[in-house]
Formats: sequence, C-alpha cells, structure tokens
Amino acid sequence: MGWEERQVRGYPEFVRTAQGYHGRPIFALFCGDKDAEGRSWCPDCVTAEPIVRKELHNLPDESVFIYCLVGDRAYWKDPNNEFRRNLKLTGVPTLLKYGTPQKLVEEECFKSELVRMLFTED
Amino acid sequence: SVQAHKEEENPRKTMEVNGFMPVPDSYDYDLIVIGGGSGGLAAAKEAAKYEKKVMVLDFVMPTPQGSSWGLGGTCVNVGCIPKKLMHQAALLGQALQDSRKFGWQFTEEVKHDWMTMTESVQNYIGSLNWGYRVALRDKKVTYENAYGEFVGPHTIKATYKKGVEKLYTAETFIIATGERPRYLGIPGDKEYCISSDDLFSLPYCPGRTLVVGASYVALECAGFLAGLGLDVTVMVRSILLRGFDQDMANRIGEYMKEHGVNFIRDFVPIKVERVEEGTPGILKVTAKSTTGDQIIEVEYNTVLLAIGRDPCTRKIGLDKVGVNINERTGKIPVNDEEQTNVPYIYAVGDILQDKLELTPVAIQAGRLLVQRLYAGTTTKCDYVNVPTTVFTPLEYGACGYSEETSVEKFGEENIEVYHSHFWPLEWTVPSRDNNKCYAKIICNTQDNERVIGFHVLGPNAGEVTQGFAAAIKCGLTKKQLDSTVGIHPVCAEV
Repeated sequence: MGWEERQVRGYPEFVRTAQGYHGRPIFALFCGDKDAEGRSWCPDCVTAEPIVRKELHNLPDESVFIYCLVGDRAYWKDPNNEFRRNLKLTGVPTLLKYGTPQKLVEEECFKSELVRMLFTED
Repeated sequence: SVQAHKEEENPRKTMEVNGFMPVPDSYDYDLIVIGGGSGGLAAAKEAAKYEKKVMVLDFVMPTPQGSSWGLGGTCVNVGCIPKKLMHQAALLGQALQDSRKFGWQFTEEVKHDWMTMTESVQNYIGSLNWGYRVALRDKKVTYENAYGEFVGPHTIKATYKKGVEKLYTAETFIIATGERPRYLGIPGDKEYCISSDDLFSLPYCPGRTLVVGASYVALECAGFLAGLGLDVTVMVRSILLRGFDQDMANRIGEYMKEHGVNFIRDFVPIKVERVEEGTPGILKVTAKSTTGDQIIEVEYNTVLLAIGRDPCTRKIGLDKVGVNINERTGKIPVNDEEQTNVPYIYAVGDILQDKLELTPVAIQAGRLLVQRLYAGTTTKCDYVNVPTTVFTPLEYGACGYSEETSVEKFGEENIEVYHSHFWPLEWTVPSRDNNKCYAKIICNTQDNERVIGFHVLGPNAGEVTQGFAAAIKCGLTKKQLDSTVGIHPVCAEV
C-alpha cells in the first residue's frame, strides 16, 4: 500500500489525525509555522525539511507521515505549550516515530543516515 | 571438505578448507567489539574517535520467560538504571508517609501501581537504547544485532535473528559479553522462577515474592519490592553480601527486617511447583535447611532468583582461537592491559577474572584500552579504591577495604577504626530511626593514618561516597579529614 502524508497545524489537529491512524506506524515532523512565502521562522526547520523529504521513500508500507506546523515563534517559546507538555518536545525540528521513544531533534534531523535509520529500523 | 559462503552476502573470499580457517590477509574491520554493554559501547565509541573502522555486535538471548531488550547491556536494560528508578519509587513511597509529619495533608490512602511505574521505566530505557543507536550511527560505528562467536583466527561468525549467518574479520577484538543470572538447577526453576532479567519489565505486579539469594541484587530487589508495599521474603543460604564488610552487611539486613522484609536464613530451595496459573499465579517452594534435615513448603506469587551471575564466555568459540578461560567460573584472565592470552584479543567488563563488576569500571577500562591501542597512551585502568554503593532501603556506600580485609592485609594492631552513628535531620521530624545510620573509616596507623576504608550507611550514600573516593585516591589521612570543616546540616559532615 506504500505510505501516505498528512499535513496538519496545531496540537489538537495533530492528535486527532494521529489517533485516526492508530495501528499503523506513524512518523511525524514538527516544524515552525511558515509565512506567506512558505518560509518557516525556524531556520533549522528550513534546513531539515528537504533532507527528511528525501528519505521519505524509505518509509515502510502502510505508514503515515504527518507534517505538523506547531505554531508561531511566540507560541513555541512558551514553555507550557501543548507540544512541550504532552509530547515532551524540546525543540523544532523534531522528527519522531509516534508512540515510541525514537526521535531525532534539531541538528540530528540534518543527518540523512539517522533519518533513514529512524524510518527503516526497529 | 570445502564449504563456500554465498558470494552476494559475503564478498570476502573465506573458505573453510579441510576444517581449518585460514588467517585472513586483510581485515574487514580494525576493531570488532562483541557485546554492546557498558564496556563494549565505551570502547567502540572511543575507537571511532581515532577514525578506526569499528563493528559492535550485540545480541540478547531471551530469558526462559521470554524477556529480551535493546542495545546497551545489563546496566541500562536490566541492571543499575531500572534498579535505581524502582528504588526511587520505593523511597518516594516512604517520603509520602513522612510528608504528613511535615504538614502535607491528604486524605486518600496512598497505593502503588506497578504497571504505571514499569511503563515509565521501560520508556526511559527505550530512549537510552535509541540514544546509543543514534550515537553509534552518527560516529559511523557499524552495529549489528547478531550473536557473535569466533570461528577461526581473526574471524567471527554473526548469527542474526532469522538464522542468517555472516563472517567478519578484524585486526583486533574486544570481548565484552557480560553475564546473565544463574539458575538453581532444581525442578521448576526455569519454568516458574524469574530473575532480574525479567523483573524490570514484568507485565504484572509480582505480588507476594520470594527472593532467593543474599547478593546485592537480591537485597536491592527485595528492598524496593517491600518499599512498594509487597509482601517480600528473602531466602538466604548462609551470609548476606558475601565479599562486603560483614558488619555493614548485617546492619543492612537488620534494617530491612525491621522494615517489613522477612528473612528465612540457612535454607535453600529444592523444588518449585505451580499451584495456580495466572499473572502472577501461585507457586509452591520446597526448601531444605543447610544446618539440619528440616524441610519447609511455602507459597508465593513470584519467585525471584538472585543467586549470582555467570559470564557469557562458554558459547562464543573461544576454544577456536585459543583464548583461555577459568573453566570453573567462566571468567577470562587478562593482564593489566586487559589482554587475553591471545595478543589480538582483549576483554573488558564483568567477564574479567578478579576484577570489579561495575559499569564505570568497564567503561573506564574500555576507553583506556582503546586509547592505548590507537592513541599511543600508556595509562592503565586503576582498579584500586573504586567506590561502590548498594541501593538497599538503607543505602550503603563504600570505598576501599572492608574491616575484615584491612585486618587481614595490615594486621589488627596496625589499623584504627573510627565510627559513629548519625541521625539525619530529615528523619527527626517524622520520627524515623535514630540509631541506624552509621559511618566508619578504617585507617592504616603505619602510614600516617591513611584512610584505607570508607563505609557509610544512610540516605544518599552514593552521593556522599563519591567525593570521599576522590579524596582517598589523593591519599586522604585521618588528620586531613579532621581538619576538613563539615557542611551543616548534612549527613556527610559526620
């Protein structure tokens, strides 16, 4: 069946979407919001996104890739935002395998070897 | 006979000719480490710093109960880490009780949920497993989840989960395969008993538990299980904490007894049977006295065996490369550079003969070994005055000699023991024991009253001991200790 991508914005939409795919492997990339020209306020996210996208063809069959915009810079800086509180995210970009402790944070997302390992290995 | 290996899987041309493996003329790797635990990973990561081509093989044979775990070895998965977290869970239970005396008010009865604790602990361990894999991949160390064994000079065979086999060669090898819990060898032990390998991921609360053994593993596990509110009994064959200062060992035992842990002394189990199925179910243990003919039968939900650990050295092909092991214990004798009798094969960690079985020792030994191999240093691992802590309900920290060993080595007339009970300030308000915490130092009167043994029994013993270990390494004397002003009010000022 291959893999599919969903694009969401904000915590409630992320949770709803992830729950809808319960039972399938779910990978998620969290990035800062993008402006009208499509540029994120988060420079590391700008670097990471194309690197991650280049490895998507390695995703296992049946899996879901959720591309999630977390919010604007002010929202992200708030230490109590829902992503920090509930998903325990510590930085953007974060690439993770939902429901497991497996994740890559910030500069780790720049390394295609690590992204590939997250997507393909148990 | 000639056996050729599949060329696609293994581009190396290695052929077993007439039963003999030839010595390869070039190697796949500079270094292959067998075992991805504390020692193995430290060595592998260090070698990568020197741009060496390194492989780590790690494989966990499932327990008789089916438990298994990820990369990181015993400490991370089924040892120090989950042990300390569960010990902390038990301490928090005690703290909740104490808190009422400090003014905290809550009406609900405080209960413990095993599954909540275990899930949190396993989740943290999972993040450590992942962290190690990221670290290895990032440093370009090849990690294979496969069982490694020697098949010929400079050559190992790696067997993967689905049975696939591959051969790899290296210039140098480090064996760091660690140990696994020993079983009793009695009917029912493997079928019905669990070990520390199973406890920290047990998917149900163990309930009324019998812990067999008097090692630090046995006492630590019995201690936190009782602290979580379970009915715990420890069955001891003879003495507690063999090899440790016996006065301290007995104080630990007394404290545990006074705080709800039952002890059956001088008995060994001879049979374990299942009376009732379930998770946990009910087991019947038949035990025989070591001092007479008495036989007893007792029922428990869970039986945890903690009678010792055996090195994983018997099935890794050491005979194929001529590495000597102690036939009785399975341990590997090495020189002071961790080298076995085969010059290109080294060993680190718990499998070493006559060395301490501690994570920081394995890490230090692994790192220094690799630095000597690839960075031209000569520093050897210092196994003297290594501090340790036993995380029983009343924690015990120690560095240096026990009182018995001091007397043996220096003669009773040449040592002086200074000791004191102390009452932690935090224990006063909740009226906890005022005569249990205890500290002693053993001094060599022939050497300027140099401190040769440090022992403390009390809260945060590990934190207290660490600093004193550094002082002892610098040659601390009684006079220097006396002239050091204490911090007040802390336990360590004693």
